[in-house]
Amino acid sequence: MSKTFVEIEGKRLALSNLEKELYPAYGFTKAHVLDYYKRIAGFILPHLKGRALTLKRYPEGVDGEFFFEKRCPSHRPAWVNTAEIIKDDRERINYCVVNDLATLMWVENLASIELHVPLGSAGSPEIADSMVFDLDPGEPADIVHCARVALILRGLLTGLQLASYVKTSGKKGLHLYVPLNNGKTTFDDTKAFSRAVAETMQKNYPELVTAKMAKELRTGRVFINWSQNDSSKTMICIYSLRAREKPYASFPLGWKDLEMLEEQGDAEKFQVIHSDAVERAEKLGDQFHDVLIKKQRLPHL
Amino acid sequence: MKSLPKVATGPDQEALHAMWSGTISFSLVAIPVQLVKAVEPGRVSFRMLHKKDYSPLARKMFCPQDETMVPPDEIVRGYEIGPEKYILITDEELESVTPERSRTIEISEFIDLKEVDPIFFEHPYYLVPMKGGEKAYRLLAEVIRQTGKAGLAKFVFSEREYLVAVKSTGEALTLITMHYNSDVATADEFSSGRGEADAHELGRMKKSVKKMMAQFSPEKYADRRREKIVELLGRKVKTSALVEAPAAGEVDSEGPTDLVATLQEIMQKMKQER
Amino acid sequence: MAGRALWKGFIQFADENIPVKLHVAVREERIQFHLLHKRDNVRLRQLMVCALDKKPVPAEEQIKGFELEEGRYIIIDPAELEHLDPAESRQIEVHEFVQSELIDPVYFERGYYLEPDSSATACTALSGALTEMNVSGICTWTMRKRTYLGALQARDGVLRLNALRYADEVIPSASLELKKYPISEKELGIAAELINKLTGPFEPEKYSDEHQKKLQSTIDRKARGERIAIIRPKRQKPTEPDKLLQALEASLKKVA
Repeated sequence: MSKTFVEIEGKRLALSNLEKELYPAYGFTKAHVLDYYKRIAGFILPHLKGRALTLKRYPEGVDGEFFFEKRCPSHRPAWVNTAEIIKDDRERINYCVVNDLATLMWVENLASIELHVPLGSAGSPEIADSMVFDLDPGEPADIVHCARVALILRGLLTGLQLASYVKTSGKKGLHLYVPLNNGKTTFDDTKAFSRAVAETMQKNYPELVTAKMAKELRTGRVFINWSQNDSSKTMICIYSLRAREKPYASFPLGWKDLEMLEEQGDAEKFQVIHSDAVERAEKLGDQFHDVLIKKQRLPHL
Repeated sequence: MKSLPKVATGPDQEALHAMWSGTISFSLVAIPVQLVKAVEPGRVSFRMLHKKDYSPLARKMFCPQDETMVPPDEIVRGYEIGPEKYILITDEELESVTPERSRTIEISEFIDLKEVDPIFFEHPYYLVPMKGGEKAYRLLAEVIRQTGKAGLAKFVFSEREYLVAVKSTGEALTLITMHYNSDVATADEFSSGRGEADAHELGRMKKSVKKMMAQFSPEKYADRRREKIVELLGRKVKTSALVEAPAAGEVDSEGPTDLVATLQEIMQKMKQER
Repeated sequence: MAGRALWKGFIQFADENIPVKLHVAVREERIQFHLLHKRDNVRLRQLMVCALDKKPVPAEEQIKGFELEEGRYIIIDPAELEHLDPAESRQIEVHEFVQSELIDPVYFERGYYLEPDSSATACTALSGALTEMNVSGICTWTMRKRTYLGALQARDGVLRLNALRYADEVIPSASLELKKYPISEKELGIAAELINKLTGPFEPEKYSDEHQKKLQSTIDRKARGERIAIIRPKRQKPTEPDKLLQALEASLKKVA
């Protein structure tokens, strides 16, 4: 097992197996993955900061077995921050919290290709910082259909004076975020609200949208998974890579861009590969920055 | 309303999930394999639900002394040696009892399956080759098929040691667990129809049997009770409503009326503008 | 052992009506473990717990449902199920006879011994006929509210009723989608020779559950305070496809 020692911001870290192929069909090794996360660090860290991280580790690469890891590995360096979250007054789990580049590199050294975070912070896990609409297409519907749904949803939310932002999941769907950041809205609130919105969408666009989880009802429709609005659920962190054949990232899309892509109707064009992600982020900045700071309140509740 | 899902129409693809993986060997040839189900019980399975709200129930372990539910990492295995006295055995200690047989099925000899009294057969599984073992597997399956023999081996699986027979079924190798000789009652224990049969009776019997000869076609026979349950369910689906279990933390499905009304209003406006 | 019979019935086919007693053929005794609470070694009980309020639910608050789609159920009343119970019958109805070797061992589920209930002559004759002709009687019967499919057979002069699985309970081997790999005649030839050299008569008395004995010994040693050595099971190295012929030839030499 080959080891390389690095020092990041005064913290010493041992990186291992850098030649390990994590995306064999694409030729991406662990070194490439670490390099990506280093370049995107400035943009991804604010979205990871203060949040309980669930690692999704692929020690044998994207074609091998993976496992989710919530408990922060006990063999971590002393400088890795953790947070204890208590669930249902019995289960206590100590999660990793990625607050700096060194911790991000340490996590990626564990081949945690995908980073999943909750919608609440580790300090107040029951408060929803954002409300999310997880758009999941049922075959043969695809991301283009999701875009159609996202545009209608945006119109609906605008009618309620709520600003929303959209990103690709990096796989086949889209995620629409409504920032809240008011320290008061709970997951019960966001769940009820998003459910009502999803059901209204289904009622008015029954051929395009479903708000129900049953698999038979999802064929050819976009499922608005409102139940993701829960303190125990996680979403793929923006700018995180996905474990697919190619290293696509979960990436923000501007509304104008989304409109154009929807019109073009080419599902492939929605996806942003690692190098494009870095380039676009460096050129346009973090298009999801407002999701972290904009304060909004849910009306009519 | 859609028809009932695959209730009695046979096993589905999920049945092919591997239950064990290891090596099967005969002499110096070792083949990496996985064990998968070969049979799937046909009974209709029901879920137990909570009467008051139809929430599904799950089996959980409960400690009567502390009066709490106990999660899996607080459960240990014990052998009772006296009233409330136990010897604890860990998973590793259990695995160390017969380690050589828990990952390898070593065929020690071959037999003619016809010699085996069917009373010995317990449970069948299929063996499926893992990467790299496809050729050797094909060879073993083919040679067993051609010679009509079956391999005998001892094998530890799921905390128990089994005597198993490895035979061929079509293109596949089937592993059938068997009962031990000591567990099977001997025929001697039963007063039987032994001794010479009356020649006339025997002749008559053989004649009747001959008249009723046929090919073995088990598909002709259906589990009538299972069919009746499926019919009952089919009738109920048409006449009564399905009950729904509430999702954890779910709110009233009507939604906050104020919000729903407003959303509908906005929706209408949007449609008009298009 | 031939104590009280499990059940009594009549084998019926053509003009025959043979009264028999059914006995269980297999009884197993294994070391039983109990599940205990780590912190105080108290024996745990299994309870049905509600997914929603996470509390145990007593039997009278439980009902049966069939899950039609995720989270939605058809409620079944126990009385409705009882209504479907097959009528009481003592008939073991034989529908046809088949060559015994045509019944693939995969079908055998559970075996019972049959004993004549009153006259032994009919049983003896039936036993003789089945043995001489090498056939099994495919039959159905109802026992303890369940309907069974079975094979009536004779062996060592004793009649047995072997309960069979229903055809749709057997997963077809074709569903495994095994690929056909080409193997040489040479490899097949050596393998066949090897198997023939390793073939012997079936002698079930040779085999016993050694694991149970060793397990009992491990428990006894632990009870005496001895430490149990942990041995990790070793995985055998698989034979590489291009080394297969070599391995076969070496095996043959070893066995000769």
